[in-house]
This record gives sequence, C-alpha cells and structure tokens, in this order.
Amino acid sequence: MERKWDYKTSLWVDWCPGCGNFGILTAVVKAFEELGLDPSKTVIVSGIGCSSKIPHFVNVNGVHTLHGRAIPFAMGIKLANPELTVIVHGGDGDLLGIGAGHFVALGRRNLDIVVIMHNNGVYGLTKGQASPTLPLGVKTKALAKPNIQQAVNPILLALASGYTFVARGYAFESTHLKNLIKMAIKHRGAAFIDVLQPCITFNDVFTAEFYRKAIYKLDDDPSWDPVVRKPEEAREKLLKSIEKSLEWGDRIPIGVFYVNEYVLTFEERLNKRLYKYPAINPSNATIEINGKSILSQQEFEELFKDYIVVVER
Amino acid sequence: MFILKEIGIILGGPQGAGLETSMAILGRALTRKGYGVIADREYFSNITGRHSYIHMLISSTKLPRSLGYPVEILASIDAETVFTHFKDVAEKGVVIYDKNQLDKNIDNVPSMEDYTRERIKIILARLGVNPTIENIVSYLEKERNVVPIEIDFISIIRKITERFKIDPRQASRYVSGLIVSAISIVIGLEEKFVRYGFEQQFRERRHLIEHNMALYELVYDSIATFRNIVKVDAPRIALNKLMILTGNDAIAIAKIIAGVRYQSYYPITPAADESFTIEKYEYNEVNGKAVGPIVVMQTEDEIAAICSAIGASLSGARSSTATSGPGFDLMVEGISFAGANEVPVVITYYQRGGPSTGQPTRGSQSDLMNAVFAAHGEFARVVLSSGDHVEAFHDTVEAFNIAEKYQVPVIHLLDKFLANMIASVPVPDIDRVKIERGKIVFSRSNYKRFDLSNLISPRAYLGADNIVMWHSGDEHDEYGHIVEDPENRLKMYSKRIEKMKLVLEETPSDIKMGVYGDKNPDYIIVGWGSVKGVALDAIEMLGDRIKLCYINMKLLWPFPQKEFLEIVKDIPRDRIIAVEHSHGVNIASLIAMSTGITIDRKIAKFTGRPITLNEFIEAIEKIVYRNEKRMVLAYGA
Ligand SMILES: Cc1ncc(C[n+]2csc(CCOP(=O)(O)OP(=O)(O)O)c2C)c(N)n1
Ligand code: SF4
Ligand SMILES: [Mg+2]
Repeated sequence: MERKWDYKTSLWVDWCPGCGNFGILTAVVKAFEELGLDPSKTVIVSGIGCSSKIPHFVNVNGVHTLHGRAIPFAMGIKLANPELTVIVHGGDGDLLGIGAGHFVALGRRNLDIVVIMHNNGVYGLTKGQASPTLPLGVKTKALAKPNIQQAVNPILLALASGYTFVARGYAFESTHLKNLIKMAIKHRGAAFIDVLQPCITFNDVFTAEFYRKAIYKLDDDPSWDPVVRKPEEAREKLLKSIEKSLEWGDRIPIGVFYVNEYVLTFEERLNKRLYKYPAINPSNATIEINGKSILSQQEFEELFKDYIVVVER
Repeated sequence: MFILKEIGIILGGPQGAGLETSMAILGRALTRKGYGVIADREYFSNITGRHSYIHMLISSTKLPRSLGYPVEILASIDAETVFTHFKDVAEKGVVIYDKNQLDKNIDNVPSMEDYTRERIKIILARLGVNPTIENIVSYLEKERNVVPIEIDFISIIRKITERFKIDPRQASRYVSGLIVSAISIVIGLEEKFVRYGFEQQFRERRHLIEHNMALYELVYDSIATFRNIVKVDAPRIALNKLMILTGNDAIAIAKIIAGVRYQSYYPITPAADESFTIEKYEYNEVNGKAVGPIVVMQTEDEIAAICSAIGASLSGARSSTATSGPGFDLMVEGISFAGANEVPVVITYYQRGGPSTGQPTRGSQSDLMNAVFAAHGEFARVVLSSGDHVEAFHDTVEAFNIAEKYQVPVIHLLDKFLANMIASVPVPDIDRVKIERGKIVFSRSNYKRFDLSNLISPRAYLGADNIVMWHSGDEHDEYGHIVEDPENRLKMYSKRIEKMKLVLEETPSDIKMGVYGDKNPDYIIVGWGSVKGVALDAIEMLGDRIKLCYINMKLLWPFPQKEFLEIVKDIPRDRIIAVEHSHGVNIASLIAMSTGITIDRKIAKFTGRPITLNEFIEAIEKIVYRNEKRMVLAYGA
C-alpha cells in the first residue's frame, strides 16, 4: 500500500463515553498501523456484545458474527485461507460464557489466531448482568443481588487449554496493550490477550480507578521471562505462569504470562497430512475447469476404484 | 431347487459380529457377477450385542430399488435372529442356523428387549410353537415348507483357528465369512465371486482372504447338498461396470467432485460416515492433478461445525457440514446468520427418528418442517431432497451450485435409510457434473458486499486484493455495517427473501421434481426422499390394475408451486395420496400451504424401519378399493 491507509473507519463509535473499549480500539488501530497489515488480508471476527462491534470501527475486513461463536467462524476463515491474519474480539460473556467450549477448543488446536477478550465483568449490551469473570459475592450496579456464581480465571483457562501465547493487558494502558497485540499477531499459534476493560456504565466495582491502583507490569521485574526458550523448559515456565495467573485483587499483573513456540501449530499439523497446505489450501485449490469437474470420467473411476466393480461375464 | 429372478435375504446377528462386513463382501461378490443389489442395515444404538440385521435384495434383471417381505433366505448368526424374523421367511424358503443354538429358548436371549420377547411369545403361542429354535425350525419345515440348513458354527470355526493357529479369542471374526459362504452356496454364487468379495474386503489384511476361503470350503463340504437350493437366475443386466456404495459414500464422493474443500462435522449417526469417507480422500493426485486439499474438521460441537463452515465459505472455499436432527437443531442460529449474510453453505441433513435422541439409528422423514422453517427471521434458503443414491450424487453437486449462485444456505435433506443402504448403481456420468460458482469479484475499489443494485450482489472472498468488506448478523447496509434505518431495512430484508423467486425461475424442472408412471393416472402418489424406490416399484406392480403416477418431490423449499399444480390439475383432489416416513405426513401440509391443495389420503410410517413393497402395495389397495383415508404402516423387525 503506497498511500498511508487509515485503519480507522469513519463510523461514529457508539460506546458510552469513557468506556474502556475506546482504549482497546486505539491500541488495535495503532498495532495494525505499526505492523502495516494489509487490510484486505486481515480479518477481525467478533461475537455479539458492546465489544464485538469493534470490527465496524476498524478499516480491515470485519465479520461480526453470533454471540459466542466468533472463534469457530474465525477458524473456518483461517483454515480455508491460512494467508489471512485473523483476530477475534469478544466480550467475557461471549468468549467464556456462551462460547467457552470454542475458547477451549482453539487452545487445543493451536491454530494461528489471536483472541482479544474485552473483560469488563459484566454483560454490557444486555445491561449489566454478571459475566463469567465477575467474582463471587460482588454486586455491581445493575445486579439485584450479589453475584452467586464464581469467576473463571481467563489466564488459567487459556493456559490449561493450550494457548501458546497468553497475556493480559489493560484498556487504558494503550501503548502496553498495543505492544501485546503486536506480539500476539506475530506469534505463530493460538494467542490470547485478556484485556481488563472498565465498563463505565455497569461495573462500578472494577473501575478505571480500581485498576489504576491494582495493576503492575510483569516486565518491571527483570527476572520475569515467560518465553519457553527450549522445549524442555515448557513445563517449568507453564507452572510459573499458572502461579502468576492466580494473582488477583490488590495486585494484578499485566503483560505476557507465557509463550511457547515449540508446539506445532494447526497449520503445521495439517501440512503433515495435506502435503502442500498451507500454500495450496481450500481457498485457492482448483476445483473446476471451465465449469467442469477437474477429473475426467477415467480419472474419477481411478480415484474411486475401491467402490467400482467391473462385472465379470 | 428352484430358480428365481430375485431373492430377498435377511442376514442377522448380534451387533459387533461383522454383519456390515458380510454385507460389503456379499454386495461386491454379487455385483461382480452382474447382479443388482440393494441392502438396508438395521441396528440398535449399541456397539456390541444387540440384534442387527441386513435386509438384502438380489436381482438378476434390474438394479433393485426397494425391499419387501417375505424373504427367501433367513441367514442367522444367532438365535435371536431366528426368533425375530422366522415369520418373514417365504414358503419354500431357507433358514440357515447354527446347530449349537438349537435348544435355545427365547427366555435365554438376554439381548432381546422384553417388549419384543413378549410380542414374539404371543405369536408363537398362537401358532402352538414352543419358543425354542428347534421348534421354530421344525414349524417352518412342516408348515411352510422351509428348508432348514444346519451348520455347526463352532466346529467349523475351530477347524480354521486350529489350522491357521489363530488365537481362539479371535474366532468370532470368522462368523461373517462363514455366513457369507453359506448364503453364496445356497444361491449358487460361484467360488470365484466369493473369492473376489473376500479379496476386495481384505485388501489390506491379505491373510484373511486365505482364512476365509478355507472357511468357504469347510462350509461347502458341510452343506453341499443345499447348493443352488434357491438359485438366483443368471444375471441379465446390461451394465459392465457398477459402483456399490452406501448413500453416505455416494454423497461424500459427490462432495469431493463438487469441489468441497472444507467439511466440518461433529460425530453423529447417521451422518459421520460421510465425513470419514471425505477424510480418507482429503488429498490425492490423479494423473498429476491435485484433488484437494480438503480440510475435514471434527469440531467441538455442531455450532462450531456450521459456524466454521460459514467462515470457510467467506474465505472462498466450497464448504459444507453433515449432521442429523439433534445436530441440525444446534446449527439453526448459524443458518440464520448465513441467511442474513448471504453466505453459501451446504448442510447435509440425514434424518433419523426423533424427537430428542429418539431412535438414533433408525430412519425417518419427520424433520421436513424443521429443515424448511427452523430459524428466526425470514430469509432465503433452499431445501433439496434426493430419492436414491444416483440422485443424491447429482443433487449434492447441485446443492453447491445453488448455494453459490444464490448465496444461500442449502439444506440437502436425506435420511438414515439412504445413508446406510448399500446399492449397486451405474457409475455416475462425470460429464454431467457442472460447477457454477456464481458472480464473483476478485478485485475492486469501493466494493459493496451487499450492493442493492441487484438481487444477487457479486461476492468477494475474504482476502481478495484491494477489497475490505464487512459482514454482520445485525441488519446492515450495502457495506455490511450495522444500520437500523427503516428504508434500508425494507430494501435489504426484501432483497434477501426475493432471491427465492430466482431459485424457482432458474432451477431446472428435473431438480424440482420427478414424475413417474402413468400419464393419465387414476391416483397420484406424492412423496420425497427414500420413498422413491418403493413407490416406483409399487406403481409398476399395480400398473395393470390401478393407473398410478408418483411425484418425487425434490425441491422442497422454495416449493415449486407452479409445476406441482400443473401435474395435479386434472386429478380429483381425493385421488392424491401423500406418503412419508413420519406421523404427520408433513409433505401434505407443505403442499397445502404452498398450493392450497389439501391432501387427506395419507400413508405414514414412523417405526424407524423403511416402507417395504408388500405393505405399501397393500396400503394403496386399501385406499383405492376400500376408501381408506390414512394408512399407518409398521412392517419389519
Ligand atoms: C444466543 C444469544 N443469546 C443472548 C444474546 C443477547 N446478548 C447480547 S450481548 C450479550 C452479552 C454481552 O456480554 P459480553 O459478551 O461480555 O460483551 P460486552 O457487551 O460486555 O462487551 C447477550 C447475552 C444474544 N445476542 N444471542
Ligand atoms: S455498557 Fe459498558 S461496555 Fe458497553 S459501551 Fe457502555 S461502558 Fe462500554
Ligand atoms: Mg462483557
């Protein structure tokens, strides 16, 4: 692209003023700019929720799907055309409530997709019900009674599921978040970023003020090295990051928890079976010649000979 | 000894005893000699022990389309088979049984359901027969002139295990070969064809060919006197090359040829075998031409199956998923998304018995309304059904063409009968395969995915050069951005629905329906899917007494009202008979809402077993001669 591409669309962004999603949008746009992503080869796939409106605000391909289902849509998009950079955005309800099964499945596959979770502790778009990341006993504004369900730990779940890049960011630490996003995009394999996102309208407990006091950067500790540098280190690094993931409350770490590039990506696993994949893939394989089958009658019969019986008179 | 044009066989035994293997070996061996073969497989939702059976028809004159009772041969691996099917053996037929089961009493068959046992006991009591194999065999011999053929399974198999030093725990593996041998001997199928069957089946385990041929010789020596006892006539079918395959396989092969490059599934009976077959062929080269790669994804659930198939389609792959009722229910929201975003995707829907888990391994056509109407909102979709293996092959290709030309979800509605039925069919004519991908844009600035200037907005694939586009499940503008403006809503909503008119206008009439039989019929029978074979045989057999026509409905939605009305215009309304494997015979309701014609003569079957020729003919006769309105069929174990 010769001219500088504007990664922001001209649409009016209809989040509540002060919403953490603005910080995330800024970080995404900046990360794309710095990476110089080709907008026609980049796809943002989202679910449903306040957060999931983000594809409309970013000037790359956008697929705004169903509540909880962004990951399977993204998987189909990526598997069919592995050349694309595919980024999933979703809310905490979207990814860890209704879509939790898909979240786990993506980790198991280690497909080269980035998942960015807008973690606001509530179901924003349906007016503030408790989300799966809201701790037990917490009563946010719109709740009639304190939350009776326990929170799931997104970092721990991502690690347990097999994501090979796991990080946490904060919506209003835009530069830090932008760097995480860039790293996640460059990572080969399934990457997850849990983004703490204040919801100014419905979450009066986990507010910007709360986070400003609680968060600290993992990077500030020079001895923190989350990257698996040789395969034998994987277990030890994983255990350390699991331990780190348990920190919550007064001190909440942000930054990279775990990176392991020694796990085969799904594309690599497919390559062992599909031979020319990903270069030749479902989106570019020849399936017809002038509207006809690529196989002649004879070739068809050769390919499916196991089903063919020649009558012996 | 007598010679027949066609022979019906029931071959039964416990689940896990290798009946499917027997079916495949026999099917290939018979086809090799030039016979036409069709076989239904009936089984429980169980892996080991429950009663399963193959119902097969061998024809010397044609490729058979339907099954019927009684059968000439009852070949049993266990006692339960004899108890369950003895009444289905024809006069002068044959019962093959294991000598070691002779004194077995029905009360000592734990795998049999209590309900079934009581039912059979009542029948036997009425006949005055004590419920043991010995008594049933002698009843069949005396009262029905059935020839009993006794085989000592244990001693024959022991000889094999001893000769080849096979671990006796593996002995049960040889039962399928034993029964295949016995049937072949009885019907006069020559040794070389039996050998061919074994060779094809055990291509990758060649030692088993030798073992099974040795088995064949032992069985031969043991029952030589019964050779040719129900001989099937020499084949007179003018085809030199046939395919023998299940419906699942026919569709899998068709998908590969149609260009499917992404197939997703979550395991479910009776759909999963289709994906297995595709996976087997995920990448091949023929004459240097690559066929593939096909990504076959076993997803975490059916929701992911449909959503990922839609995703793959957005990237430009021909994509599909296969499932049955419970899985389809989970896919419904995804289908609604495909409708809203005009994404081509094919859902191959094999109906089984519902509701809920229902009868997971039995057939049904009770999901017609589910396929046509499930999902919120209104949008264009196409529901296509196929009457047999050959139709299913070509319709599969057509399903993708329709999906891509009109940018709609296409539901290819089939059922368990077709899925599991093996049939010998002509090799499909590949020249007939047309691949139409619709209007596609490869590069354009200011591209609008949902351009309103045409009912069909040219499609671009994600990743197309210089194109940036949006899709949204929310109502959207031409670019795909969320817009709730009422005027935009009116245009966008209507456009999506009105595409159905194009489908009706442009789809060739043979894809809409097939009309068979008399040009000036006394009665018209209307059905769809797996009813076709039995309906065609019935109208042929009744032809000299009742002039009948069969309409095989294929395009079920949008309903081809005009063509349907044209066919039925001269027939009095009370002379239309609808038939379906369901309670409601719901095709009648679909016709009523689409054409205003009410059909009140119905033939229904919802036991999970396919409609057989004998009961279908009887039902038509009762409707025609005795003015019956509703016939509920229940034949078959
Ligand atoms: C199948 C389905 N169920 C329910 C909804 C309603 N719904 C819309 S958004 C939402 C929750 C959003 O919460 P979250 O995913 O955390 O996103 P946020 O709005 O907080 O960004 C729900 C339940 C829906 N769209 N689809
Ligand atoms: S409701 Fe909360 S999450 Fe949604 S836009 Fe408003 S502040 Fe943001
Ligand atoms: Mg939320």
